[in-house]
Parts: sequence; C-alpha cells; structure tokens
Amino acid sequence: MKKSIITLSLIVALIITLVRPALANDEKYRVAMEKNIQAVYEAESITQLQQSVNAFERIGDAEKTKWEPYYYAAFGCIMMATRENERNQKDAYLDQAMATVRKAKAIAPGESEIIAMEGFVHMIRVTVDPAVRGAQFSSEAMQAFAKAVELNPENPRALALLAQMQFGTAQFFGSSTAEACGTATVALEKFETNQPESTVAPSWGRQMAEELTAQCN
Amino acid sequence: MKYFFAVFLSFGMQFVFSQTPVTGRITDDNARPVPLANVFLEGTYDGAMSDENGNFTFETGETGHLNLVVRMIGYKEFKKEVTLSGKQVSVEVQLVEEISELKAVTITAGAFTASDESRRTVFRALDIATTAGVTADIAGALNTLPGTQKVGESGRLFVRGGDGNEAKTFIDGMLVLDAYSPSAPNTPSRGRFLPFMFKGTSFSTGGYSAEFGQALSSVLSLESRDETELTRTDIALLSVGGDVTHTQAWKGGSAAAKVQYTNLRPYMNLIRQEIDWEEAPMSFEGIGSFRQRLTKAGLLKIYTNVSRSDFSLFDYSIDDPFQTRLFSQENGYTYVNASYKDILSTNWIIRGGLAYTGLDNDIITGYDAVAENENGAHFKAVVEGSIRDRIELKTGVEVLTRKYSYRVAPAGSGVFSSRFDESVTAMFAETDVYASNNFVTRAGVRVERNSLTDAVTLDPRLSLAGKVGEDGQVSLAWGRFRQTPDNEWLRQQTGLDPECASHYIVSYQRIENNRTFRIEAYHKQYDNLVKIVNDVVTNTGAGYARGLELFWRDNESVNNLDYWVSYSYLDTERDYLDFPVKATPSFASKHNFSVVTKYFIVKLKSQLGATWSFTSGRPYNDLNGPVFNGGRTPSYQDLSFNWSYLPKPNLIVYFSCTNLLGHDNIFGYEYGSVRNEDGLYNSRPIRQPAPRFLFLGIFYTISKDKSVNQLPTL
Repeated sequence: MKKSIITLSLIVALIITLVRPALANDEKYRVAMEKNIQAVYEAESITQLQQSVNAFERIGDAEKTKWEPYYYAAFGCIMMATRENERNQKDAYLDQAMATVRKAKAIAPGESEIIAMEGFVHMIRVTVDPAVRGAQFSSEAMQAFAKAVELNPENPRALALLAQMQFGTAQFFGSSTAEACGTATVALEKFETNQPESTVAPSWGRQMAEELTAQCN
Repeated sequence: MKYFFAVFLSFGMQFVFSQTPVTGRITDDNARPVPLANVFLEGTYDGAMSDENGNFTFETGETGHLNLVVRMIGYKEFKKEVTLSGKQVSVEVQLVEEISELKAVTITAGAFTASDESRRTVFRALDIATTAGVTADIAGALNTLPGTQKVGESGRLFVRGGDGNEAKTFIDGMLVLDAYSPSAPNTPSRGRFLPFMFKGTSFSTGGYSAEFGQALSSVLSLESRDETELTRTDIALLSVGGDVTHTQAWKGGSAAAKVQYTNLRPYMNLIRQEIDWEEAPMSFEGIGSFRQRLTKAGLLKIYTNVSRSDFSLFDYSIDDPFQTRLFSQENGYTYVNASYKDILSTNWIIRGGLAYTGLDNDIITGYDAVAENENGAHFKAVVEGSIRDRIELKTGVEVLTRKYSYRVAPAGSGVFSSRFDESVTAMFAETDVYASNNFVTRAGVRVERNSLTDAVTLDPRLSLAGKVGEDGQVSLAWGRFRQTPDNEWLRQQTGLDPECASHYIVSYQRIENNRTFRIEAYHKQYDNLVKIVNDVVTNTGAGYARGLELFWRDNESVNNLDYWVSYSYLDTERDYLDFPVKATPSFASKHNFSVVTKYFIVKLKSQLGATWSFTSGRPYNDLNGPVFNGGRTPSYQDLSFNWSYLPKPNLIVYFSCTNLLGHDNIFGYEYGSVRNEDGLYNSRPIRQPAPRFLFLGIFYTISKDKSVNQLPTL
C-alpha cells in the first residue's frame, strides 16, 4: 500500500511537472496581459505608455503565435503619439505603431481588430499635418475602417472609429452627420451586446462612441 | 503522502525562491545615458525599461544561460548571454547608433526629392498639382525651385545654364526619350507624364548619382506608384478636353487604363490668340498600367503611354505681313516601361527594367516636308544593398540603343536623308560610407562605351554630407557628366564625341520645425560642346555656368499657409554652335525669382494658390546691333492664381488663371532675312500666344468608399 502511494505520488508529480509549464504559461500570459492592458488603459504619461509598450513587445516576442501583445503595443504607441507635440517624434511613434500592427497582421491576417488599429494609425497621421496629409491618410483610414467592419460587422471599435472619421468628414464638408451618428449608435449597441470574449480581448473605445452620440443629440 | 508533498514542493519551490536580480546601465557611443530602452531576457516576459539615467533593474525566475536583449529605436539591438543562478547579474550596455533614414544625414547638394513615403522632404509630390500657374505640369512646378531658369516660350526645364536637352527624365530608373509633348514654335510644351502617376519625384540640378548617364545638367527621376487596393473610376471634365480612368484592384495586383482627349480648338476660338491657327492642337492619349506582385516583395510594373497629336498654323513672314506659309506637325508617340524589383536577401535588392520609346514626327513647312523617326530601347539591371554595416553599394549595367532617321524633301528637289544607330553600354558602381549618422561619403564611377565613337570613357562622381548642429547640414558634390550631342548635329556628323560637363557644388540646408532654408553655390565647366567651324560640326565648343541659389519654405508660421521663395543667380557664357564669340546664350537669364503660396480656407473647403515669378531680361541676337547676343528682352513677370474647391468628398473643382495682371512678356525677337530700305533687319517680338490661360476642371471619383477623391493624385 505504502509503496503504491509512493508510486502514485511520483506519477502525479511527474504529470504536474510535465503539464505545469503549459498550464503555467497560459496563466502567466493571461496575468501579464491583464496587468499591462490595465496599465496601458490607465497610463497618463508617455513614459508610462512606453513602459507598457515595452512589456507588450516582450510578451509578443516570447509568444510568437498571439497577436494581442503587438496589438496593444500599437495602441500604446498611438497613445504616445497623441500626447506628443513635436511632429517628428509623433511620426516616429506612429512608425513604431505601424511596425507592431504589421507584426500582429502577420500572425492573424484577417483579424478585424488589427485592421481597425491600422486605420487608427492613419487617422492620427492626419492630425500631424492635416493640410498636407489629410487627403491621403484620411482616405486610407476610411478604407481600413470599412475593411475592419466588413471582416467583423460586430466589432464595436471598428464601428466607433468609422463613425469618428465619418463625423469629421461631414463636419469638414458641412454636410449631414446623420450617417456618422447612425454608425456611432450601432457602435454603441455593439459595445452593449458584444462583451469581450476574454480579459485579454480588446475592450476600449466605448467612451469614444458615447462622446460621439452625445454630440449627435 | 509525505513523499508526495516533498516531491511536489521541490518542484514548486524553484519558481518561488530562485529569483535572480538583473541590473545595469545603458549608454550610447558618447557615454550618454539611454532612457526608455526595452531590456529583457530573450524568449521570456522578464525585463524592464531604463530610467532617465539609463539604469535598469528587474528580477527573473529563469535559470541557466539566456540572452539579455536591449532594444531601442535608433540603436542596434544589443544581445549578450548571461548566467542566471540566483546571484545578482550586472551588465554595462553600450548601444551602437544605427544609421537610420530618419536621423542620418542625406546628400542634398543639387537635389530636391519629393516622396509620399519619406516625410523629410523639402518638396512634396502633392506640391506639383497644387502650384498655381503650372496646371499640374511637372516641369512647370519644378520651375519654381532654385536652379531652374524660366524659358517661357519653351516650357521645358532649363537647369543652371544648360539648355532644354540637358535635363533628362527617367521613370523607375528608365530613360524617356522626348519627355515633352510637341508644341507650336515659340509656345510652351507640357510634359507627357502627369504627376498623379508618381509616388516619388527626385529632381537633381547637378552632382547626381553614377546610375544616371546621358544627362549633362539635370536628372528628373520619377518613381511610379505601386499596386493599389481600391477599385475606382475617375472622371475629369476639363475646359480643354476630358479623361476617364478606371482602376481595377485584385489581391496582389492592379491595373489601370486611362483615355484622354485634349482639344484646344474651342478654347482658342473663344479667346483670341496671337497665333493664327489653322487647326489648334488636338491629341488622343491612352495610358495603361499594370502591377502584379510575383513574390512577397517582388513587384512587376508595366506602364504604357501611346499618343497622337497634331496641329497646324499659318506662319507670317516678317518682311511681308501678307505672305504666309503653313506649318503643320503630326506626332506619334509610344512609350513602354516594364520594371521589376525584388529582394535577394535581407540586405540586398535587385531591380531592373526595359523601356522602349518610339517617336514619329511629320512636319510640313510651306512646301517642304520633314519626317523624323526615332526608336530607342533602354535595358538596365541594378543590385544594391549593404556590403557590411555602414557601407552601402549600388552597382549595375545598362544598354541604351536607338535608331534615328531623318528625311527632308524640300519643294522641287529630291529627298535628302540621314540616319544613325547608336548604342551606349554602361556600367556603374557607387558606394555610400557612413562614418556615423552625421557624416556620409558617396563615391561612384560610371564607365561608358559608345558605338558611334568606339570610345570607352570613365566618369567619377563624389559627394559628401555632414551635419552641422541639430538641424543643419553641409553637402559637397563633384562629378563628371556626358551626353551624346543633339540628333540635329549627330545626324550631320555621326562621329561626334559626347558633350561633357564637370559640376562643383557646395550647399547648406537647415530644416527646423517645418521651415527649410537652403543656400547653394555651384560652378559648371562645359567642354566638348558642339561647334560649327567653317560649316563643319566639331566638338571644339566650351563654356561655363556658375551661380548662387536660395530657397526658403515655411509651413509653420501662419496657420493654413504654406509658401516658398526661390532665387537663382546665374552667370554663364558659351562658345558653341554658330556663336562667333563667347556669349551668354538666349535661354539664360541672370535672375530668377519665384514666390509660391498655398492657403487653405477650411470654411470655403478650398485651397487658394498664387505664384509670382520674375525673370530678368534674356539675351537675344539683335541683328541690327553691334554685339552678338547683345540685345536684352524686358523682364518676364507672371502672377498666377488657382482655386481648388472640395464641395463633396469625391468631387473637386479646379480653376486656374495664369498672368492675372496681363503682363506683356517678350521672350526674344525674330528677324527678317533681308535688310529693309533703312538698312536694318525687320524684327518681330516673340510673345505669349495670349496674355492669360484660363483652365477649369471638374474631377469626380466613383468608388465603393465615397471619401476617395483625386486630390492625392491630381
């Protein structure tokens, strides 16, 4: 009996040793991602954002099959660009955002969230120098958002960004914002009905849709 | 059970207790701390970011041998193996600066580069379309930059004392023979290629790369767009015609076809012209382009342009205003360009192409008929990449071959014909050596063999560029350039040697916060120029050009206003062609000044543009004066205006008017062939065909995505 317990405990220990790295890794990934996702959402300074971006890049490099770390790294870079005032530095952050978007795209080519993020980079690119960049990048942003919605009509972020772009265009041309407001309303509905699949899945953008619908009413 | 826990705990403990602290400091080449760098153990999540003093510290549960990686933009990745055993690991990291496009010094002597992709440019691709007074003509827009001399009756690029044939156009590296549409004598011609096709424009006024041969003064290198992802149809209705373009996109490729019809007849009938047209210019043009990815990075581009144009006019005799003769011209033009670019390995790319130009000109002057025909092919293959860190190499071979024939049938006599076949084989190699991001040396050599002279020639080129302070840089360039003489001379004397020029350029440029200042001085020595001695065409001509140029562009000081100012000073003399003495040629003007402004009015959804150009008087040969080329025309002045209006995202309305003030510009004088009763030759000024040119265009785009318009391509 005693002998069998020893044997059993050795077998259990062996199984744990073999399985643990796999289980632990998934767990480790989730924990690291959750921590950094919260950090990137709450970051207030460029330094804090850079810290998160660095962490996401480390996780992305280590994982190789997960697109989310690079996706959030790109998000962090965009946030840095929006906080930066110097144009060349803004562009440098957006270049880095684009580079990480490409890495994410290589892992999950048809992912709507990544295409929406790509459009987001173009959209911020416009703000660096609207008179010169407006024509080229606003149409590239628009195309990306449209493609992201096509890939996943349920993606609230793609819809919210599309609405934002439509709203800006309508304001510029002094035309009706009805289409933009319609898109924003749908975006808000999708935020309501589509809860993130996991704690790692993207969940940002709701505030953008809310602010837009507030402007519509 | 005891054993179970004992064994279990022993596996678990490893993760809890054996933490290794890793610390260190990161500095750059100059021992300055590098903050915000990403420091981590390769393949793990463990790492940290360096603080403002370059210090970092983190703990890891990993054990054994792992690579410590330090990553920071602008520096090469640092990697070092560390042993993790629970004892503190301390690493001093010195990062090596990376030669980055964003930070590195660039060779700017003589060069104006515009690109959609690069953002550090002085001149942008979009600028060509939005410069007032040029109606989207590439050469016209470049004429507002320093280094060019305005020659209003030609429309071509005249660069730094060189004539219009010394500036050559290349598309995707391939030479274009005759890049301008035909025009009536003494009226400006337009470039055959529209700016919308190109994502990059590089205009060099001297000291250019060894890759470019057969250009004495200037190279305009255009890079065509890659494949597009959007299927669209563009329609343009113009006051002088219209065009339709359809672009079809598929995965990995796209194709576009454009049909353009231009007819100046209705306009010329409406607005009185100095020219007595029999038939004002009319042309049909078809443009096709095809793009296909053959490998992940390999892109095949094919571009074709086929056009037919004609016009005829009555030429009035200077001596007898009642005597006229008919001048008519028919022109057929075919250009095909196929190019391919791919990566060979991480550090090397290969590119090459084949271009064909076919040209037919039928001219009738009075009762004399002239038929001119030229067929040329250009083949090129280039390999470029880095031999090792900080040393880049570009090398290639090319063959330029052309057949030219010329037949003239003067009234009442037989047919005279002349022809030649020329083949130029060339090899070139050029290397860029970066001492740091602050200093670069470019050395190149070009070897050419010309079949007509059977001579092998060697042309060296050298450029240096160094940063001065944070935003400024100084460039120096020197090189030797050669070009086969004009067809007009070569057909008379096929054994002529190429004409040669040496360029010496020094330049200073400062770009700071969307403001650019540039000053450049040059000296150009011409030799082997064509000269007619006792009715024999020889290579004994020579000359020089030297000058000083200034450029200022400011896109920052006033909101929504972008403007630039160019000034060129030129001092040039030549003894060539039929010149009896050394003299300043008639295309050369001493002072050229342009101010280009673009103002965006959000409320009106409009961009307004105005361009003012001033060119000091040009020499002309006053047959009644004592000195050869001793006459001076009055100065040239032009204030042009344009208005682009965007009423809807996919609709653009464009209006432009040249010479708003109606200044009477005189480009030179023509003379009669015999003396009148006063013993003088009758003269007639060469004027603009009309004081102003008005243009209205409506551009409409149909696509799935309604926000797309032709502005980026206009």
